[in-house]
Amino acid sequence: MLPLIVLGGSVLLALAAPLLARLSGRTAGYPLAAGLAALGVYANTSAGAIVDGDVLTASWDWMPALGVSFGLRMDGLSLLFVTIVLGVGALVMAYSARYMGDGYPVGTVYGLLTGFAAAMIGLVTANDLVLLYVFWELTTILSFLLINTAGPKAALPAGRALVVTATGGFALLGAVVMIGVAAGTTDLGVIVGSPEVVLASPLAVPAAALLILAAATKSAQLPFTFWLPGAMVAMTPISAYLHAATMVKAGVYLLMRFSPVYVPTTAWSMVLVPLGLLTAVVGAVLALREHDLKAILAQSTVSQLGLLTAAIGVGTSYALSAAVLHTFAHALFKATLFMLVGIIDKEAGSRDVRELGGLRKVMPVTATLTGIAALSMAGVPPLIGFVSKETLYEGFLEADFAPGAGPVAAVTAVIASALTFAYSARIVYGAFGGTLTQPDLYEPSTAFLAPAAVAAALGLALGLGVGVLNPLTDRATTDLYPGAEPATFALWHGVNAALLLSLVTFAAGYALFHWRDRVDALLQRLWVPDGSAVYDRIRTRVIEFGGLVGKPDVDPTPAAVLARPVLLLPVLAVVAGIGLPALPGYPGPAVQGLDWLVVVLVLATVAGAAVTRSVLAALTLTGFAGLATALWLLLAGAPDVAMTLLLVEVLTTVVAVLVLRGRGERLQRPARMRATPAALTALAAGLSLGTATYVLTGRRPPSEVGGYFLDTAQEATGGTNVVNTILVDFRGMDTFGEAVVVGAAALGLLVLLRRTSDESPGGTGDAGAPRRFARDGPADTVVMRVASRVLFPVMLALSLFLLWRGHDEPGGGFISSLVGGVAVLFLRLAHRGDAWALRLRPEPLVGTGLLISLLTGLAVYPLGLPFLAPVYLPGEVLLSSFIFDLGIYLMVVGLMVAAVDRISGRTRVGPVLARRDRAAPGGTTP
Amino acid sequence: MTAAIIVTVLVAGGVYLIAQRELLRVVLGFILLGHGVNVLIISAGGMYNRQPPLLGQQDRAAMADPLPQAFVLTAIVIAFAITVYLLALLKAGDQETGGDGGTRSDSDHDPAARDDPDRERTERAGGSARGEDR
Repeated sequence: MLPLIVLGGSVLLALAAPLLARLSGRTAGYPLAAGLAALGVYANTSAGAIVDGDVLTASWDWMPALGVSFGLRMDGLSLLFVTIVLGVGALVMAYSARYMGDGYPVGTVYGLLTGFAAAMIGLVTANDLVLLYVFWELTTILSFLLINTAGPKAALPAGRALVVTATGGFALLGAVVMIGVAAGTTDLGVIVGSPEVVLASPLAVPAAALLILAAATKSAQLPFTFWLPGAMVAMTPISAYLHAATMVKAGVYLLMRFSPVYVPTTAWSMVLVPLGLLTAVVGAVLALREHDLKAILAQSTVSQLGLLTAAIGVGTSYALSAAVLHTFAHALFKATLFMLVGIIDKEAGSRDVRELGGLRKVMPVTATLTGIAALSMAGVPPLIGFVSKETLYEGFLEADFAPGAGPVAAVTAVIASALTFAYSARIVYGAFGGTLTQPDLYEPSTAFLAPAAVAAALGLALGLGVGVLNPLTDRATTDLYPGAEPATFALWHGVNAALLLSLVTFAAGYALFHWRDRVDALLQRLWVPDGSAVYDRIRTRVIEFGGLVGKPDVDPTPAAVLARPVLLLPVLAVVAGIGLPALPGYPGPAVQGLDWLVVVLVLATVAGAAVTRSVLAALTLTGFAGLATALWLLLAGAPDVAMTLLLVEVLTTVVAVLVLRGRGERLQRPARMRATPAALTALAAGLSLGTATYVLTGRRPPSEVGGYFLDTAQEATGGTNVVNTILVDFRGMDTFGEAVVVGAAALGLLVLLRRTSDESPGGTGDAGAPRRFARDGPADTVVMRVASRVLFPVMLALSLFLLWRGHDEPGGGFISSLVGGVAVLFLRLAHRGDAWALRLRPEPLVGTGLLISLLTGLAVYPLGLPFLAPVYLPGEVLLSSFIFDLGIYLMVVGLMVAAVDRISGRTRVGPVLARRDRAAPGGTTP
Repeated sequence: MTAAIIVTVLVAGGVYLIAQRELLRVVLGFILLGHGVNVLIISAGGMYNRQPPLLGQQDRAAMADPLPQAFVLTAIVIAFAITVYLLALLKAGDQETGGDGGTRSDSDHDPAARDDPDRERTERAGGSARGEDR
């Protein structure tokens, strides 16, 4: 339970943060700091048990079908990281309470910062790979949002940070999937508990490569270092927390977590050690080149993360415990330095060492604290940084993945550390040494200094008494190297190789500082590849490539758009045809005599519809092709589908005739340039689909799923018309979605064609001209009117009867609504202009239908039943599916009313299509 | 076999009409294409069992597969809704251009279509047709 309470508590704090900020402004940082600190203390109440080897877990089913659980664990490594996240979090919150002044987005920053703390806790306590990935991405997103709080100038660097770290997230997802497949589980404890399972899989190597990629992006290793200095546009508390102490350690955590699996492999070391050490040296050189205090710290973070990566790569128990301790030490001194640099920036108005100077005279406390933290960073005794640096040296000396690797690694680390010493000195001397340039400054308030003072004091105290950390770091080390003999940390180890290396470091570092002007001149001449520029160039190229890919779709003609998918059909057919096995036979006779009649009818009508130039003939022949298809459906044993198609054909034809009134009766002869390729494409597509039908369909026994519906429909739903039970019961959600499409078409039509009260004749048509359809349809006659009075109620009753019996006999929502649609159409045509026929409005019909269907489906949720589970009235009368069908009925009738209303009535084009430059006639307002 | 021929004819006719300029032909082509694909889906259930899936009235062993039928039934209704919408577009095009301009698809108003080699010819043909009408 403990990990869940820690995670849940931090989530609650994140939710409360914006409210607290609204109530008390920037001072909300104090209660938040207290909350985080309390959670940190609470987490450490378990330290005793965890040090003894307990792993506290909590787990709930999340995606049981995939074996993914919402599992949390708290072992030594997790507890160490949780302590860093909550401890530094508390300090940063308290610092923010004084850092942020007027004009800062206080609520946003506090909410995101505490939310980030929660995500980070989730990341380091996740016991499931998928969960770990989710929290990983959350930290990426929150980092992006936090950088963006700095305003418009942050947009570009924030975007870079997001893209780089999200690319790593994508790599992590790949690694998670691969490891999950290789291990057969996503349980982290099980995976690291039996590394041989993963290592035996061929996926082990690509998974490791992706893990390293993910860690390298998140922890800013080469060549992905550039996003981290860019992220420094964020305000200092954010930089201190995310981009120094916690988030950038996520990659380090990931590598540590998977150490039990990969440390035994040499390749792991051969990649990580050179990568880490190279990053360490490059970062340190770049840090020494900077003049901006914050930029020095950013490059320094890159460098220190490199040392950590390399130490993890060495993979001996000594190196791993050094990495664990240095993670802790770095979080402490780097957060301190960031907070102090923020104070200098606020007080002096600059972070540039060339402008600052002599501040020790006016800000002695700040100067002392900075000195302590910088000494820790430089690895000078008796601070914690000294102990961790010494252990790192010892660890590097143990590197044995290649002959001579140990000494080379240690010497490289010494070079990086000498540079570290030099830039540490530069920070302190640059700001506080030399002559005072701003004598009117004074020490900041105690409250502003306090968090940094606490962190600096801790760095000193834990250096002197580093022994107190031993139990936890031992446990963390054995967590990531089972059976290891972790290094026992002590301030004084006696005279050994590491101490000698430390002395060399100090001497070289001091030399670099002493000749700082020459060093600086040399470094400024250094050509440094600009990672951001490379990134920007790649980004521009990618966007250009996207434009190239999308170009054919910008302003294309309909035929050009459709040609591509249609032409893909024959290609697919040819590809599928290669290597096609011998075809199995049909389980029964697949052709009946009457089928050939349909073939003849379809052939004749489609050919006619394709070549005719008469509008009326094209319309009629298409309608007949539909009727022939309906006949085929009837022969195929689908009476419901056949009825639906018949009704649809009738309605389509009526609507089409309404549209075509008052238009030319002739279609153009297609230009030969268009007709020939169109015919060839059409033939290729038709033959492909026809061949596919012949080869791929019906050559198997009846499908299992079809049999399932036939066997269970009556029992499960009480209906005997299986097709309709599928529509309203088994797949009710789908049907609802489809009915919504119908409703959307109706609403689209209403928006497209606005009703107009202007009854003046529209268009340019001359009613008397020959070869045009009459404007007033033949329907508007006395006979029609009288007939409609009789027929309308009968048709309506028939449609309701079909609706009612749909569950057992052919009928149901769609068919009955189409019959109702015919009735409405008839009525509206016979009584055009008659007031009572106009009372049916499309909008309420569609809206009511949608609501009825939705509410019927949802009504059973409180009973714990799924969408549209059947509900019976007393006496076994099925209620819910009937009401659901009624809703669908109303939606389809709504479409019909909309169509008659707008297509036959006087309308004008809605604002969607109206163009300013085209003054349309007929009272159309532009 | 018959299903395959029917699919071939309907799809070929549909694609041919969709490739034409007039929006009316495109709409009709869309309708035919819909029929063709629906026949394909139904035939996927197998054409050897042809009794309607009405329990208690038919022989269970000879019943057609109900699932493709349910798919096609909704597909027909959706295709109908889209057809009605396309016809409304046709009418909207009419009102915009004032008369039978809308017989042609919108590509004629499209600047990108200017490169089309047969555009000029169609323009002339369209113009003369209109003149004839008046």
